[in-house]
Amino acid sequence: MNQARSTMIAGLADGLEPVRAFTSRDGFAMLGIASLAVVAIVHLTKGIWFEGITGQASPFFYVTNGLILLLGLASAATVVHMASPWVGNQHEAPVWASAMVGVLPVTALLSVFSHGSWAEVLVDDHAAACVAASIASAFCVGGALVFWLRRGAPVSLNLAGWFTGLAAGALGNSFYGITCSVDVIAHQGIWHVVPVIASAVIGRLVVPGLVRW
Amino acid sequence: MIADEATYARLMAAAQKGDKSAYNVLLSETGMWLERYFRRRVPPHHLEDLVQDVLLALHAKRATYDTARPFLPWLAAIARYRWVDHLRKVYKHESEMLEDDHAIEDSHEDVVEARVSLERLFVQLPKKQAEAIELVKIEGCSIIEAAEKTGQSESSVKVNIHRGLKKLATLIERAE
Repeated sequence: MNQARSTMIAGLADGLEPVRAFTSRDGFAMLGIASLAVVAIVHLTKGIWFEGITGQASPFFYVTNGLILLLGLASAATVVHMASPWVGNQHEAPVWASAMVGVLPVTALLSVFSHGSWAEVLVDDHAAACVAASIASAFCVGGALVFWLRRGAPVSLNLAGWFTGLAAGALGNSFYGITCSVDVIAHQGIWHVVPVIASAVIGRLVVPGLVRW
Repeated sequence: MIADEATYARLMAAAQKGDKSAYNVLLSETGMWLERYFRRRVPPHHLEDLVQDVLLALHAKRATYDTARPFLPWLAAIARYRWVDHLRKVYKHESEMLEDDHAIEDSHEDVVEARVSLERLFVQLPKKQAEAIELVKIEGCSIIEAAEKTGQSESSVKVNIHRGLKKLATLIERAE
């Protein structure tokens, strides 16, 4: 071993401080706190749609929110694990969950086509509000995940960007989604998926630069 | 001594608790492991810089090691990350041959080391991309020289390097 390396090692060892080893539990706790904050803010500002909670909404409402929530959980769990690098890590869950959520806009478009009118999708007074509120919710969740990744050592930066965006968009949308009373497939399948896609793209563009080390 | 996986994991767990002598041994052993790991994938005069760079990264990110998991796949992920970063940054004009270290080729690698090796990462690349990166980024050929040796156009060599490095960055945690 050369002298420079020996000196460096001696210096690092001499200044060693104990550290608390990373556990995924800490990451999930951070994510849980951020999620609770978002849920509280959304329900304080938008109120709760009681028909949705009491089972009176259309099946599309539960299917859409359920699938998007699962995508958010799968992506968030993957991001939490990505903070601790490991050759052999698998990151496939969000990919499959995304494919499942992809069924929603396809179903919505087929439904619209069968009625022969695009107006149901394009002329939607609630669309802009749903997209904006979902993306705003996504920023809170995404901020917590970026903070977690910055503490860790992610080595697959582009994937981390995609998955952070997906997790933030999907969880943000789910937390907001249960306040949305427009429970038709044309609205749920398109305008509740658009913010997830937008958030994933934003994550891919922004997150790698924030978590590079 | 050449440490085994269990020894590395035990030393790292002790280091996380602040054991300075264990950490000194760990970094020394890790340095030697990294030398063997990088030797055939880094020009000789860049080897020491890269080893020290990874040791510093290990120090900065030591909290991210999960003591419930093996140490070498964690170290290899960091080493691969720094190596891809190094390939991106380094552009050498002088041509130097890599050390032909038969001792490494003949040495016995255990299953973990085989799964995390740089060779395993490199073979995932299409042949032209691997060839372009190997010639320009590792052996130090110029773009023109690499184009002559591979029969690719100069712009193809550049594109293949760019695409190859981009792909390597996505494969860092891949074991197979």
